[in-house]
Order: sequence, then C-alpha cells, then structure tokens
Amino acid sequence: MATRKKVLLKVIILGDSGVGKTSLMNQYVNKKFTNQYKATIGADFLTKEVMVDDRLVTMQIWDTAGQERFQSLGVAFYRGADCCVLVHDVTAPTSFKSLDSWRDEFLIQASPRDPDNFPFVLLGNKVDLENRAVPQKRAMQWAASKNNMPYFETSAKEGINVEQAFQTIAKNALAQETEVDIYNEFPDHITINPDSRNVRNDNCSC
Amino acid sequence: MASSTTLSSCSEIPMDKETREEIVASDKKRKSSGEKLFITDDEEASSSHSQILNSPTGKKSSPMREDSVPEEDRGGDTSDGSALSCVKKCDDEEKVTEEDERLNLELTRAFDDISVATTGSEEDKLWNGNNISNLEKSENDDVLHRTMENVLGSGGSLNTSMISEEEGLDGGINAIWKGQKRHVFILSESGKPIFSRHGNEEKLVTLFGVMQALVSFVQDSGDSIRSIRMGGTIVVFFLKAPLILVCVSNLGESVAQIQTQLMYVYNQIVSVLTLKQLLQIFEKRRNYDLRRLLSGSERLLYNLCNLVESDPSFILGAVRCLPLATSVRDTISTTISQTLSKLKQDVVFAILLANNQLVSLVRMKKCFMHPMDLHIIINFIDASESFKTAEIWSPLCLPRFDATGFVHAHVSYLSDECQACLVLLTVNRDSFHALSEAKHRIVERLKRHNCLEAIIASMNNNWPTMSFVNVPEVRHFLYKNRSIAQFMAPALEAPYINGSSSLPDLNSTTGNENSFQNLSISSISSSSTCAGGTGAPHYLPPDLSEELQRLYSKYYRIHSRLHDRSRPVSLIYWVDDTENWLGWLTSTFELYVTFEPLVKKSAAINAINKLRKWVKKEEDRIFIMNSPTF
Repeated sequence: MATRKKVLLKVIILGDSGVGKTSLMNQYVNKKFTNQYKATIGADFLTKEVMVDDRLVTMQIWDTAGQERFQSLGVAFYRGADCCVLVHDVTAPTSFKSLDSWRDEFLIQASPRDPDNFPFVLLGNKVDLENRAVPQKRAMQWAASKNNMPYFETSAKEGINVEQAFQTIAKNALAQETEVDIYNEFPDHITINPDSRNVRNDNCSC
Repeated sequence: MASSTTLSSCSEIPMDKETREEIVASDKKRKSSGEKLFITDDEEASSSHSQILNSPTGKKSSPMREDSVPEEDRGGDTSDGSALSCVKKCDDEEKVTEEDERLNLELTRAFDDISVATTGSEEDKLWNGNNISNLEKSENDDVLHRTMENVLGSGGSLNTSMISEEEGLDGGINAIWKGQKRHVFILSESGKPIFSRHGNEEKLVTLFGVMQALVSFVQDSGDSIRSIRMGGTIVVFFLKAPLILVCVSNLGESVAQIQTQLMYVYNQIVSVLTLKQLLQIFEKRRNYDLRRLLSGSERLLYNLCNLVESDPSFILGAVRCLPLATSVRDTISTTISQTLSKLKQDVVFAILLANNQLVSLVRMKKCFMHPMDLHIIINFIDASESFKTAEIWSPLCLPRFDATGFVHAHVSYLSDECQACLVLLTVNRDSFHALSEAKHRIVERLKRHNCLEAIIASMNNNWPTMSFVNVPEVRHFLYKNRSIAQFMAPALEAPYINGSSSLPDLNSTTGNENSFQNLSISSISSSSTCAGGTGAPHYLPPDLSEELQRLYSKYYRIHSRLHDRSRPVSLIYWVDDTENWLGWLTSTFELYVTFEPLVKKSAAINAINKLRKWVKKEEDRIFIMNSPTF
C-alpha cells in the first residue's frame, strides 16, 4: 500500500443562487474574488490539492448552479460524492430556509449508502456584510440538529474561514473514504460444467 | 479536394440462401474432421463454411490486358465467360464451382451497375451516422457548448473570466495533449477518473467531471448520449455501468467501430478484476477510486489502446494466424493436446502465439474461445515484456468465456530462440507445477519434430508479400473468413510503410500489424526478428506511417458502411485520386482490397477472382480450419 495513489474526493457545493458558491470556490482555489455576479450555468469544476494528515488529497470540486433553471444536469450528477457543502447567505434568510430542501434533494439524488453519516458541511457566507439577518446561533442549532454537521461562518470576499472550512471538508470526506476499505477478496472459482459451459453471453454489442 | 474527385457507389448483391445451404451440405465430409475454433458473432456465417473459395475461378486470360479493354466493353462478361469455361477438376467441387460462378456473375453485374458515378454528397450521407442526442433546453446549450469545447480541448476554458486556465487545468491540457489524434478516457459513474490514454488523469480531473456531467445531463431526459461530432472530431461515449468510457478521435472511424474498441477496453478492465468484483465494488461504494485496484495493470490499458489503433483485427473482430504448413500445425496441436489431456489439470484452453498471431489453439470439449477473449490474451502477452524471462502464473478473467471468475494462466515462451508464447489456461488454481512440467514436455516433443524451427522460420519470413500473391493490380487487401473469425493480410509494402521504402523485406516479422510499430524504428533489422516482434515501445503511441493510417482509415470506413444495419450493402467500389477500393461482404467472407489507381473494372474483377483463388489455395496455411480438443 506504500505506492498507493493520491486520494481523490468528489465534493459538491449546493445552495441558493447568489449565496457565493462560486466565489467561495474561487477564493479557495485561486485566492481571487470579484464583486461581479455571474450566474453559474450548469456546473463548474475545479481541482485543488491539499495535504490532510500527511496524505495528498485531490479535491474535485463541483460547483453547481443555484438558479433552478440551470439545475438540469440530472440525478446522476450527484452520484458518488464524498462530501456535500451546503452554503447560505447570512444576509438572506430565504437562503437559510432552503437548506433543508437542498440537503433532502442531495440525499435523494445521491442516495449515499449511509445517509445518516454522510459528511455535510454548512457554510454561512458573506459575514463581511453589515446587514446580517441569520443569527449565528440559529445556524449553529440547525447544523447541530443535522447530525452535528460542522458550521463555518465565511467571507469569500475577505477570505475569512475559507481555508479552514475546506480543510474540514477534505478531512471529513477522507474519514469516510478510509473508513470502509474494499477488501480484495478472491473472486469466485470457475467450475467447468460441460453442459452449461457452452457460453454465449450476449452482453456485448458487437 | 477529395470530395470533388471521389466517385462512390454501392450496390447490393442479393444472396441466395438455399444455394448456400446446399453447399454446406456438400461440404460436410470435409468439415467433419474438426470443430470450429471460435464462437463468432456472425450468426449467418456460423452455419456455413467458406467453401466457395475452394473452386477454380478459372481465369486463363492474362490480367494484364486492362489497357486494351475499353471500359464499357462489358469486360466483366468476358471474364465471366472464361470462368464458366474452366475445367471442373473434381466432382466434389462441382457445387462449389457453381457457387463461385454465381458470386462471380453477381460481382460483374454489380460492377456494371456501378459505372455511373454518384455525386459527392453520397459520401456525406454515408458517414454521418449518429450525432448527438437531442438537446432541448436552450439555456443548457451554452453549458454543453462550453463543455464540449473543453472535451475537445479546443480552447474553451472553465469560466475563463474568473479561473485562469493554467491554474485550473495545470499542465494536463497542453498543446501536445491537444494534438493527439485519439484519446481514451475511463471514469466511474460518479465522474472520478480511472484512466486517460494521454496525459496524467490526475491533472484532468475537471475534464472527467465535464464528461460525467454530459452523460448525466442527457440521462436526465431519459436518453443516453452516444456521440458528439464536431467537424472531423468525434466524441463517443460508451456507457457500461458502473463505468463510462469515452473516446475522442479524429481518425474517421464510425461510432459503432469506436464503441467496439471501447468494448475491448472495458473487457480489459473486467479481465483484471472480473465483472463480479467490479459490480460489487461500486454497489458498495459509488465513490470508489478504481485506480487503487487497477494499479499495476495500467500497462495493459496503454498497450491495448495502441493495439486497437494499429491492428485491424480488433475492428474486424478476427484473429490472425501465423502461416504454417498444415502438417506442422497439426503436429503442434496434437502434441499439446496429447500432453495436456493426460494431466487432468482442468486445462480449458492451450494457446500458442507468435508475434501476436495464433499458432495453435487446443480447447476443452464444449468450451469455445471468443475472438474478443483471445485479443485480451494477446494483449496480456504483448504488454508484458517480463514474461519473456520467466514462467508466469497469473489469474485472468476472460469476459466472454466467464465474466464472474478467474481462470489461471501459465505463460511461458518456448525457448530463447523461438519466441512463441504458450498460454495454458486452467480453472484449477493449484496447477502451476503440473503445467510447468507439461510445458517442458511439450517443448521437448516439439523440438523432436522440428516444429520450433518451422515456427521460427515463419516468424522471420515476411510471408506472403503481394508479389508472392501475384495479383499486380492489388496493392493490399484484408480477407476475413467469417465462419472461423480469422483474417489475413499480405506483408506491407510501399507505399504503406514508412519512409516510402521500396524494400518490403526490411521488416522482419510476418507483416504482422505488431510490426507496424517497429516499422517506425528503422534500426530493427531482419536478424533481430523474434525480439523485434514484441519489443516495440508500447507505451508510445503507435507511429503508423501516414499512408498506412490512410489505408486503415479507408478500410474502416468501408467496413463501417458494409456493416451498417440500417442501410445494408454488400459491395462497395470506391474510386479516389490515390487508389481504388473494394469492400465485399458475403455470408462467408469479408474482403477489402486496395487497387492501383488506374485499374479498369474488368481488371479489378479479374484481380478479385485471382485473389480469392489464391486465398483458397493457401487456406490451409493461412487459416486454422479446425481445432483439436482435449
């Protein structure tokens, strides 16, 4: 196992439109921020390599569209995610209210093997703004009620807590990843049965 | 330029089923000696044997008269007349001769129909098979457009205004990478990378995400994506749960052909893991990173991608045999079968390979080897240089034989001098020592019968060259015997080998496609034959000469057209500014011929008949017509 390849984690970012999903990702990966709003169409993909407990982890980050009319990438899109990041805007209470439905939708569509313990992380973004409307306490309570999902208050603009949040995301996803390892159990032994051996499987399109 | 000078046409030859069946009946005697080597997918062909080749296609007249016969001189009829007048040598062959004449007549008629050239637009219709599944929602067209550009590496970037390409794609996508003619990607259904033919898949993580998104997007509308065509480039998706395979090619293959190639790649993965394990893993964990289990087997995938590109046997779904005299081959097969049948070690198949060509295949009764499985074995041997120095014992899954479990392969080369590789496949996992002993016994006996020398001679002998076949109008051809899933091709000669060399003997191996790779390395001399056969640097993309690439591309196009189920055609004659081409599909054989550019119709018909006659004459040597069982 010494030569084991780097770990690859699929991370999906969900939340209402305009809460700052793309900005968070962009701050995290490129250390850049722009005030201009540009709706994500479908999804954007980014990669970032991080060290978690001496292991090199490649994060494959799937930044999705918040606007409903762009959410057409399909059920399969969420499949096989290692971690899901829920984002709301602390100045927009509606975005906080939507978190339940985002979480439910993810669990339905991704249908992870163990939904109760699937790693989510909650981010309350735009804490740099004055007009805060979602109290920290409320957000923490909600997060605690969902199997103690970690909660971070972030600012993509100022770069506050972004690094820490993603580090936690990687760590939690990795914990899931290593928890169960597929054992290379020896596959079945073929037995030769002269009567049924004349195989002609038509599982091939050629 | 090509489109303006291309005359393309196709014509259909109706096949008479009853006649064919009669012939089969009359050939029963001859066939009874052995059973078929493979199960094949050619349903039709499986019932009949290619006995039509057996006939004297009498062409007493010289083929050198093309210049004296005017094109509209019903040249076909003349040649047909001479065929009719030929002496029937043997009663057994009477019916066969009739069949042959009938084919000949049809060929001639079809050629007469062809005399009118169709317009170039036909060509467009021919090759525009399936395009992208319909994409309705207009908002998403933008996504798709953007993502497609990315897939094709044509400069689109992800949200360029915010994310710089250098950082985002970090060395994965560069000019060299974009310049590759063919890409193969394997990913899991969750979009995690498993393999990329070129470049480091780790660096292409975002691209894999895009591919998964495309698949997912189309799936959401209850459809599934098959291909995207952009100019000369085609992106083909092959969805085989739990994997997604994608090929980006601008070599001009059809969607169906590329899917067949991807099927091989998929089979290769199954061969390493077994289907059962592959399905179980992703059932348990959809986000599994399959690279973990495949590590160490990447060489098989790289090598397979190279072979698929450079070897027509994959698209033809046929195997090539090492030419050998029947008596020698029989001795080899009998030796193997006798030695192993005493062992009781549950050996299902014993296969002898040389230069990726089949020397002998002995099988357990009622067990059949599918050509796709044999290709997996050939790739396994071809990709593993280390097998040359030691005996190998390795589990191997043959997907078409039994995808649920492993057979165990004992792999060894016959001797230092004779680089033919013996593969013994058993279901018994403790048979190594028994098979190792058996191998030594086999080698001793083969030595006693001088079989090793015969194999070495054939491996070194660049046989047959076109000058040996002696049909001057023909530059190159592929002949597939459909019922036995085997094909043959002559040694490559100018202009299809690199550097426009006029020395066809330069290459040492038997014209084997494997040698195409070697051809680019001019330093390989004929003395280093055996090692040269498989010693090519397989991690590098095969460097086919442009001419050869063109030759294959044309064959593939003709193949694709002949096998188009929606518009069936059995005969294609194609004229362009460099060569004339013929593709002919019958129930028993497939023939692809490259003619000199100025060949006349009548001469072409003559040439085809001569070619078929030659193949018939050499059939026992170039094909394995039966396989002994344990």
